[in-house]
Amino acid sequence: MGRIFRDIAIGILAIAVLAAVPHLIPGKAFQDFVIRCSSMALFATSLNLLVGYTGLSSFGHGLFFGLGTYSFALLMQRTGISLPMAFIATLLINAVTAVAVGAICIRLRLIYFAFVTLAMQMLMHSIIISWVGLTGGDQGLQGGIPRRVVAGIDLGNQYNLYIFAAVVLVIGLLIMRHIVNTSFGTSLRMIRDNEARASFLGIVVWRVKLTVFVLSAVFASVGGIVMSLFVSGAYPELINWPISGDAIFAIVMGGVGSFLGPTVGTMILLLLNDVVTRQTEYYGLALGIIILAFALGLRRGLLDFITERLGGRPAGGIS
Amino acid sequence: MKPTEPTRRTVLTGAAAVLAAPHIAGAQAKAVRIGMQATFSGPLAQSGITHRNAIEMEVDRINAAGGLAGRPIEMVYRDSKSQPQEAARVARELVNSDGCEMLLDAESSAGSFAVQEVVRDLGVLCIHSSSETSSLTADPKYRVASAFRSSRQGIHDAIVGGAYAAKVADARKLTKWATCSPDYAYGRDTTAQYLEYLKHFKPDIEVISQAWPKLGQPDFTEVITKLIQARPQAMYTALYGGDLTAFINQGNIYALFSAMQVFSVNLADYTALTAIKNLPPGIATGNRYVVTCPDTVANRDWGEAYRKRFNEYPTNWSWQSSTGMRFYEGAAKKAGSADPKKLAEALRGLTIECPFGVDGTVTMRAEDQTVVGYAIGWGTTLTKPPYVADVKPADWGTIFELETEWKKRNGFI
Amino acid sequence: MDLDALLGCVTSSSCLVTQTTSGLIVGMLLFMVAAGLTLIFGVLKIVNFAHGTFYMLGAYIAYSAFMFTGSYVLGVLAGGLGMAIFGVIFERVLISRVYGANVLMQLLICYAVVLICDDLVKIVWGPDFYAMGMPPAFQVPPLFIAGGVVPPFYIMLIVVALAIGGALSLLLGLTRIGKIIRAAAHNPNMVSALGINTTLLYSLVFAVGGMLAGLAGGLAAPVRSLTPGMGFSILIESFIVTVIGGMGSIGGALIAAVVLGLIRSFGTIGFPLFTEGLMYIAMIIILVFKPSGLFGKEIV
Repeated sequence: MGRIFRDIAIGILAIAVLAAVPHLIPGKAFQDFVIRCSSMALFATSLNLLVGYTGLSSFGHGLFFGLGTYSFALLMQRTGISLPMAFIATLLINAVTAVAVGAICIRLRLIYFAFVTLAMQMLMHSIIISWVGLTGGDQGLQGGIPRRVVAGIDLGNQYNLYIFAAVVLVIGLLIMRHIVNTSFGTSLRMIRDNEARASFLGIVVWRVKLTVFVLSAVFASVGGIVMSLFVSGAYPELINWPISGDAIFAIVMGGVGSFLGPTVGTMILLLLNDVVTRQTEYYGLALGIIILAFALGLRRGLLDFITERLGGRPAGGIS
Repeated sequence: MKPTEPTRRTVLTGAAAVLAAPHIAGAQAKAVRIGMQATFSGPLAQSGITHRNAIEMEVDRINAAGGLAGRPIEMVYRDSKSQPQEAARVARELVNSDGCEMLLDAESSAGSFAVQEVVRDLGVLCIHSSSETSSLTADPKYRVASAFRSSRQGIHDAIVGGAYAAKVADARKLTKWATCSPDYAYGRDTTAQYLEYLKHFKPDIEVISQAWPKLGQPDFTEVITKLIQARPQAMYTALYGGDLTAFINQGNIYALFSAMQVFSVNLADYTALTAIKNLPPGIATGNRYVVTCPDTVANRDWGEAYRKRFNEYPTNWSWQSSTGMRFYEGAAKKAGSADPKKLAEALRGLTIECPFGVDGTVTMRAEDQTVVGYAIGWGTTLTKPPYVADVKPADWGTIFELETEWKKRNGFI
Repeated sequence: MDLDALLGCVTSSSCLVTQTTSGLIVGMLLFMVAAGLTLIFGVLKIVNFAHGTFYMLGAYIAYSAFMFTGSYVLGVLAGGLGMAIFGVIFERVLISRVYGANVLMQLLICYAVVLICDDLVKIVWGPDFYAMGMPPAFQVPPLFIAGGVVPPFYIMLIVVALAIGGALSLLLGLTRIGKIIRAAAHNPNMVSALGINTTLLYSLVFAVGGMLAGLAGGLAAPVRSLTPGMGFSILIESFIVTVIGGMGSIGGALIAAVVLGLIRSFGTIGFPLFTEGLMYIAMIIILVFKPSGLFGKEIV
């Protein structure tokens, strides 16, 4: 129990600090950064539930991030329901989709699992591109998201959206943290380390895998909702393969074995992106060299590297 | 800009005033920062680079002549990597962190809509110089008071292309048509509109086959063979850039271009014309940018000056960004100020001298804040430079008439 | 959806011939790229996400060599040879450091190489797109076979790709080195225990894989546009092919590549707006019924 209270306290502290920062540092770039960070960190951490904790390497997790942006933006544009209702409905849509997709995917193993999830994502991408009447096709959903007011707070205002994103991020991370610390989380790690033994010990492997698949999809869609609010719409790029790549790079660079690894990785990637694109148009060259230095120098994510240096053993991890 | 929330405002009033002050209180000679974002990486890097080339030419010229109302222009370039969410972020960053007072948005269609939403949120002055999607400015749903467009438009191309094709079709009795356009909004919309106006001018044509290759598809063979199977007399294509080059090279070995009369709206751009090694003669093409349309000294000079400086001919993107900068220049002259609000006011209905205007001028039409009067015409290809012959500029009277009808039909006016 | 058109096509010999050859040509070039990918995976258990980059660089090198020598054959050979060398360097300098590491770490390194190479191409060749142009020997009118249209250049490509595929099978099936490679794919420790230099072997596999992709890039250069980043769409399709065929199975890659080519060529007639979606559906269905692809070994 103590751990939960400690985590919640840290979360509240983080929100308080974030809420204060804009009053100290003027300029809105920091707020934009935090909003994007919140979206991508939720997405990357949700992917790490699969990769780091269960040993399921998905290449197509962007399906749920993108579906989150589209379902939320469409619900806001096409129906009259309020933002919180659209939020909940989006989570439901993603959960249902994840049950169907997961039921097919978790039958497959290792690299085949990775590629079938990617195929699922690209299939959804093809559908969104083709269904022009509903989604606007490759142009994306245009015209912005209306009625961004929750309980009198207008999320169209940047500072409000910033606070909203920070709160959603902290709550999302707290819940995921709780999930991996329960006995369910222990089952995940047992499956990762030795599926046959886990099964022998009475864990119904497929049920656990499907559950974590659905849970991670739901959290990915929360990241999608934040992104949808940030860009005020939804675009096919948000469900295309590179978005899955971004999440994978974030968790690999931040550390698959540490709960906050994906969040740290997201921050590294976004910072690199923002700083490097300002300096040079040879963004790929610069980023590529930095990634190589990272991958070959540390050979593991940053947080995992630090944990090991401090003599600890990362809690999660894949080998 | 939307008002910030009261708490923060009260805390920051003093600080903000100091920080925001340089723009207002600084000397008149302080540079005007204009943010420009485009694709500078990936397969479409060429678009951003040739946009920027043209802008640099204009900035040097304008600054040498005293800048915008006495203030020199300073450009800030950013790469959005062809991603709408990056486009939105970069646009916000240009305004919020880099102190840009206005934008020149060189994003292609999806990106331009993402930028449009940022412009709506921030109220910043912006000229779109790349998006050709008509609805961006035509549809009141998407329109924003501070957003303008200096690029050509799909609907104009469709009307002109339809009228030209109808004449050729009449003379040569081409009634069976096929189309082959990229499978995304731009390709689908321009193709539908083109066919609509082709039928408007020549009602007895029949479309017997339509192919929709993917954007950036490496191999068009199955599309080409499908078209050959259908045996049309004429074909329209909205493919462009590397896709068009590949399509023509692959079509050549199937002798596609001798089997049917091809109408290619995007071929007359030097990037494509010079990249294709065996350009088939006699393809009908719309002008993207060629130094012979409009066939004026001003246009030739500009094209040659560009070629001298960058060692290649300008692109369609180049003239559009050049025109955008010229509008900022003209508006500053008219307003006698570089203040974005006054510039926006001055831009509405502004007519400026411009090498790309069919009569030497172009106008920022007040009602939908988009450029009209630019040279737009069709000609046929030659195997050697100047690559395109007999480019006939279209009549804007017809364009206006049919465009208004189109807007009414779509409920835009 | 246009099922009538599809039915009309499969019942007309001219359409059948034309679309089948067009499916074959798309499939055979894809096979050359996918064969290297599946070979590398089979032996080294490395998923080479940078394989599309090999294809791109091969095409650019072939283009430059063609411009320099005027010979298409030399251009293609330069593309193949250049990528064989590049493959070895890539394996020695980067990939050899992550053998046995998680697939995601390999993905990260390959992604970095893709980013770097795309920009290097932009720096060396510029951001413009290029086309090599048809070699004069092939600037001839297409042939008509049973009413179908078939360009001689594509007949040559199909023959060359088949010949290379055949040579590869012979190499793997009959030669000593081929047997070692197959043994290594089966049990790397055993091969190493027998005192065979696995370092050399691994480099060799990357050289062959790189060469195949480079040759494919060079062969396709006369008809495809060269742009930075052009390797990507090839990469995705090659992965679909290797996964459907079963990762590690060269015969499976051949069949899957041809099937994919045919899905594309007939799909464009029957389902012109959903051809891409069709490929993913095919992949999902096959994996559901054959979880290791058509000819892949079961993973346990």
